[in-house]
Order: sequence, then structure tokens, then C-alpha cells
Amino acid sequence: MRLFENLLNIPQNHLIEQAIKEGYIPIGYTCSYVPEVMLSIGKLFPVRVRAPGVAGTEIADTYLSSVICSYARSSLEFFMEGHYDFFGGWVFTASCDHLRRLYDNMVYLKKHPFMHILDVPHKSGKAGKKWLKEELDIFRNAIADHFGVNMDDTALGVAITEYNGLVALLKDIGDMRKCPDPPFTGTEFHHLMLASMIAPPKAAAVLAKQFREELANRKNIQKYRARMMVVGGNLDDPTYTSIIESQGGLVVADRYCTGSIPHLTTISNNRDPLSAITEHTFARTDCPRMMADFDGRIKRIMDAIRDYHVDGIVLEAIKFCDTWGAESSPLVSTLREAGVPVLRIEREYHLGGEGQLKTRVQAFIESMGK
Amino acid sequence: MAKIKPGLKDSLVFTQYSVLIWYYIVKLVIRHGPYDMVRDIIRYPWILDLLKVNGLLYRLTRDRSGEYRKAVSLTVLTIARQIAELLERAFHESDKLILHEDLVPPEIFYAMGLKPWTIEAMGLVIPMLEPRGMERYIDACENEGFPADICSFVKSAVGMILEEHLPPTSIPIVTSNMPCDGGMSSYSIITKKRKIPAYFLDVPYQFHDERAVEYFVGELKEMIAWLEKNSPGKMDWDSLRDRLQKRNRMVEMEMEMWEMIRQKPAPMAAEPIYLSHLWAYNNFPGSSISVELFEKLAQMTRKNMEMGIPAVRNEKYRTLLWNPPTAHFFDLFVWAEKAYGVTCLMDMLSYNRQPLIDTSSPETMLNGLARNIMDGPMVRHTRGPAENYLDDIFRIYKTFHLDMIWVAGHIGCKNSWALSGVLREMCRDKGIPLLIIEYDLCDPRITAREGIIRQVETFMDNVMKAPRLNQSIMKRIPV
Repeated sequence: MRLFENLLNIPQNHLIEQAIKEGYIPIGYTCSYVPEVMLSIGKLFPVRVRAPGVAGTEIADTYLSSVICSYARSSLEFFMEGHYDFFGGWVFTASCDHLRRLYDNMVYLKKHPFMHILDVPHKSGKAGKKWLKEELDIFRNAIADHFGVNMDDTALGVAITEYNGLVALLKDIGDMRKCPDPPFTGTEFHHLMLASMIAPPKAAAVLAKQFREELANRKNIQKYRARMMVVGGNLDDPTYTSIIESQGGLVVADRYCTGSIPHLTTISNNRDPLSAITEHTFARTDCPRMMADFDGRIKRIMDAIRDYHVDGIVLEAIKFCDTWGAESSPLVSTLREAGVPVLRIEREYHLGGEGQLKTRVQAFIESMGK
Repeated sequence: MAKIKPGLKDSLVFTQYSVLIWYYIVKLVIRHGPYDMVRDIIRYPWILDLLKVNGLLYRLTRDRSGEYRKAVSLTVLTIARQIAELLERAFHESDKLILHEDLVPPEIFYAMGLKPWTIEAMGLVIPMLEPRGMERYIDACENEGFPADICSFVKSAVGMILEEHLPPTSIPIVTSNMPCDGGMSSYSIITKKRKIPAYFLDVPYQFHDERAVEYFVGELKEMIAWLEKNSPGKMDWDSLRDRLQKRNRMVEMEMEMWEMIRQKPAPMAAEPIYLSHLWAYNNFPGSSISVELFEKLAQMTRKNMEMGIPAVRNEKYRTLLWNPPTAHFFDLFVWAEKAYGVTCLMDMLSYNRQPLIDTSSPETMLNGLARNIMDGPMVRHTRGPAENYLDDIFRIYKTFHLDMIWVAGHIGCKNSWALSGVLREMCRDKGIPLLIIEYDLCDPRITAREGIIRQVETFMDNVMKAPRLNQSIMKRIPV
């Protein structure tokens, strides 16, 4: 945990500051459908938008209203307060109503010279892939024009190789959670995953290597009551994971926007880069905003339960999230019909109600007979 | 200005249309058979609420007169006739019945010989007739774990499916990503409950270019091929051409009406403008009855215009109603006309800016349908960028010479709420009075009609400084 100290509690952490001093340009992005690999080229590096420690969303509520997901509201609040002024550009996706309207409000309130929104289709068939590839081509040209960065296929190929290196490293660590007694907690891994999204890729790789080296000298964790999987939307505060683990759960699988499942998949290097990134964008994100794939999502959850030897699932969704909110109901019933214990939690983006959460997790673990 | 106070002739109009409505109800009962009708009322208890249609007719025609009263009555009668037709489909043609999401246009289904039924339709119709009619379905949906904050229109549809109160069919469902995430995502639970597959149409976010049209035409073609494989429907392009030509006729009539109501005071207003569109375009586009409705509405508007008769006597303020209408307080404008002389000239769900479809070939028809769907009302506003939403409001304001903007702030319409701050500031900058009514589309427990009235009164008294035209009207409204 020492490695990640002071990294996650402010948007502009010391690694980002260092990179900016060296002439690099951080690009903020709000959704897992943004291909970070296309922002990891030349002097650019991607930074996932977070609002750590947000105290309230009074200004954002004036614009977005209080019925919008608190991640969008918190991000707008930080945006208005100037916490993201260090970003050299912004990339959004039309992934859900809330993030679309976040983009609309940001454009209206304080338009940044580079704000790009990607139109990701709601289906990943042949036509959907063609559409996304064209979108990525438009995106590539927009980046190249604005930042003067070489975005040709060769440059993208190099970026893919570097990206795959980081992913392989993280996956190597993440796969240790499949063992009966992994050497690290879910909270630690959550820190690592987030660090990889908010630090320049090279610095993130250094952190991951240091973390892996540390593991060699550790004892495996044997004292836990149940192996848990967290499923849901954006979860970028590791304190949630630590609360689950404080009650005897060991979070061995993280299937949420900022988690590793199915996020940690490599990009093919054997085809043209944009086609490979298109395939990868659909494959590494498992959001209920994709239509006609409910059964697929269930299957992938069941696969993860098997691979990670999961005893129970904590299903978390931010209040007002339509896609996860609506999906949760059939998801819970389907999983329970399959004999999987599920705890459903509706939460806010910022941490609150820790006591309630502890009690619910404790009761859930007890209900599993663990 | 001609005198247009309701008189004996107007009373006779009400009687005439009430009798006609009963005629279609009795006809349905006779055709279906009294025993089967009772059995189906037990199976689908909301049918009883439909019998309150003359109550709606009364509420929407009181204090209105002349051609305006006739136009409102005709609109209600048409809906009653077409609902009777829908019920007949459910009772007698269930082998061809196809359930679809409300913004998926049914023209193609008709042309395939299928019988479309909009899953969400009753979520609007029932509260118009019985304000509390959807509460049981909303509760059923929430009890299943569906979030309370999702749109009640969506929850009503899900609740009806969960309660098995929609007609059965073995034909797959057709749905889409329109108009919002809540609506789109609800189909996971709907298809799970129904245990039938669904086809999902995908409208791109940026749809104002040929690339989007090509993508969505591809979606439509794929849907047709999928339905030909998975349903008894077969595509008949001549049938589609005929329907789209009739639909074009409806559009021509509607455009003419829109042109006429730009005049001050307007020769037609409120439900004949927006309820007619809302119902006929979404459920029966290009049907003979719908064409007849629009031809007669245009005729009545023309007549009023030629005679210099305004729809709303003492028209003082002209407005639009943005967002979905106040379904459980559907006579809002009957009250507002009387109380303040407020005339509603347009609503979000009617404002379609892609009117005519080229019917010369299958390709042009699909192309035209694709443009209409993607750029259709609500889809354009809630799916696309903010400009679509905001620019249309100010375009309507200018085109129809409005005095103010009313937004029906349906609490479940989150992506509209997310633009309320921007809209408020833009209206302030332009000096346009803006009222955002907080309410819920289908659930009067959130804001009852009295609550809506109070919000309007506060706005009219404090912002518009409008003198109340008729104090006695409040006596009729229970508080």
C-alpha cells in the first residue's frame, strides 16, 4: 500500500505532475469505452477522471440536477472548481445518458479546446464494429490535428505493444487471485488497477513491477471467510473494497468499469491497429449499455465465478444509474436462480454509510454460512 | 372576434361523440362475445379503465366550443376506435401480434402483415383516463427490484409484463436504444419474463450525416430479415409504399395545421395538435382512420382561420409543452386556457422535422424511415447532443410566436433534467419566461394535479404577472 500512497487522493498526483514537467500532456477520459491506447502515444498519456474526496455537488446539481448519477455530478463539480485544469484535453463517449449530459454541460460551461466525444454503438456486430472503427479513425485524426502527434499505423502499433506489456504485467498479478490463498488483498489490487489508470503508463508499469517484487516476500492470505466478486459500474474508491474485506470477505474478482475483468485483455498485434482496437474496445468492457447481450454478461460472470472460485457476489450500482439499475433486477434473479449468493448495493459515488455497508456485508457473509 | 362561448350546439357535439364512442365499444363487445369479453377483462383488468373514455371526452371538451371542441372530440373518438382495433388484434390475431417499443415505428410491421402493439402505449393512455391506473404496475415493477428513479412510463410497461397483463404472443419483440437508457435497459427484464428473443435497433448518437443513415438503414434491413426468419411476417414493399404515402398525407395535413396555428390568435390548439400526433403517428401511421383524422383536423383549423375564430377564446399567452405531457392531468390546458388564456401550440413529441418519405423504391423508403426515426421527436432530443434539445425549443418559440416556455419536468426523464440548468440560463439570457413543472408522467403520487396547478399559478402570478381570467374555476378542482 505504501507504493500507492498519495496517488489516489487527488486528481493531480505527483506522477502526473512529474510527467507534465517533462512535457507530457494528460488527457482526461470518463469511460472504459475510451481506448486509452490511443491516448498513450508520443507526448500524450491518459488519465481516468475521478473526483476523490468530493465533498458535495452543489454547483453541479444546479446544472445536472440531483437525479443524475453522482459520478457525473462529482466530475462536473471538480471541473467547475478547476481540479482538472491540468488536462490538455478531454475524451468522452456517448456511453450513457449521464455521461453524455456531463459532456454537454462541460461544453456549455467551460469549453476546453480539445473535447471529443466518441459514438460507441450499442451493438458489437459487424455493423457496430465498422461504425466504431470509423469513429476511431475520426478520433485519431482529431488527436493528430490538435496535438500534432503522429498517429499513423506504425505509431499505433508501437503504442499497442507498450499497452499490451502493461496489461500482461497487471494480468499476471491479477491472475494470482485465482489461487486458493492469494498473496495480496482485493483492496491492494484495486489500488494497483486505479494507479494504472491515473498514472502515465510507464510510471504505472514501474509501480506494477515493484508491487510484484514485493509479493515475492509475502505470506499468502489464508484468513478470510468468503471469496467475493464485486460486479457493477464505476467504482474508483478502494475504500469500498476495504470495507468488504474488513468483514472477512476477500475480493478476488473485480468485474466493474475500473476493475480488471474483462478489462485486462491484450490488443491483437496481427491486424491493422484500428480494427484491433475496435475489437478490443468491445471485448474489454462489459457494460449493460450494450443491447442484446444480457445472456453473454451472465455467462461471463459465471465464468469468472468458476475461474476465481467465488463464493458470493456484491452487485454495486451508483444511485440513478439507469443501465446498471435496470440490469440489476434480472441479473440478481438469474444469478440467484443459478445458486449464486448476491448482495445488491445501491451507493453514491463518494463513500458514505460505511457502517451500513459493513453490516450488510457481514450479514451477507453469514447468510452464505461462511 | 366571433362569439364562441359553448352553447347548445356544443352540447350536442359532446353527445354525438359520446354515442359514437359507445358504438365502437359495444361493437367490440359483440364481435368478441360478451363471455369472452368478461374473461378478458378479468385477464386484463385495465380494460375497465378504457371504459372511462367518455370521462376524458368530457374533461377535454368542457369550456371549449365550435370547431375546437369538435377537433378535440374527434381526436378522442379516433383513439377510442383505434384502441378497439388494438384489442381486436390481441383477441383474434395473436398469431400475428408483435410487441414493440414505443419509438420503433410500426410501418414496417404493418407492411409485413404483422399486427403491432406498442408495449408502452397503455402507460400513457390509462393515466389519461384513470390518473391512478398505472400505480399497481409501477409498484409491481419496483417490487421486482427495478429502481424507483427510472421513468414511470418504462416501469408501467415492465409492470404490465410482470403482471402478465399484456396479450401473449410468440413473435419476438422489437426494441431499440430509444429514447433513453432506462427504456433501453428495461428490455432485459421484459425479454427475460416473456422468454422470447428480441431484436434491438441501434440509433447512433450523431445521426445528422449519411454515414448514420447508412448504418440505420442497415439496422432496418437486418431487422426485416430477422423478422422474416423468426415470425410469420413477410415484407410487402407495395404495402409499405401505400402506408408511407398515406403517412405522407398525414404529414402534409399536419404541416398545414402548423402553418395555420402560427397565426395569432391560433385557430387550433392543444390536443388536436399534439395528442393526435402522439397517438396516430406512434401507433397507426398511414392507417385510413389516421389520415381521416388529420384531414378533418386540418379542415376544422382552416374553417376557424377563414372565419377568424380562435381556438381559445381570450388567447393571452402562447406556449409549448416540452417533454412528455402530464398524462395523469391531461386536461391541464383546459384549465390553463380558462384560468389564464394560455394556449398550447406545440409539444416535444409532435415536433418532427423530417416530414416526407420518398416512396419511389424500397431503398428510398427505408432511407426516409431511417431519417424519420433517428431525427424523430424525443429520439432526437434525448439521444443526440444538447443542441438538438435546446435549438428545437427556441426554434419552436420563434416559429409559433410564443410568449413563454413550459417544460414538463418528468422526474424520470433524467437526461432532460440534466439540461435544465443550461436551459434556464439560456432562457434568462434571451429574456424568455421559463416554467419547469416538476411532476411524474404516470404516477400522480409524486405530484398530484393540484401540485401541478400550484406550480403553474406561482409562475403565472409571479413571473408573467398574469391576471387570472376566471376565479371560479378553482371551485371545480379538489384541493
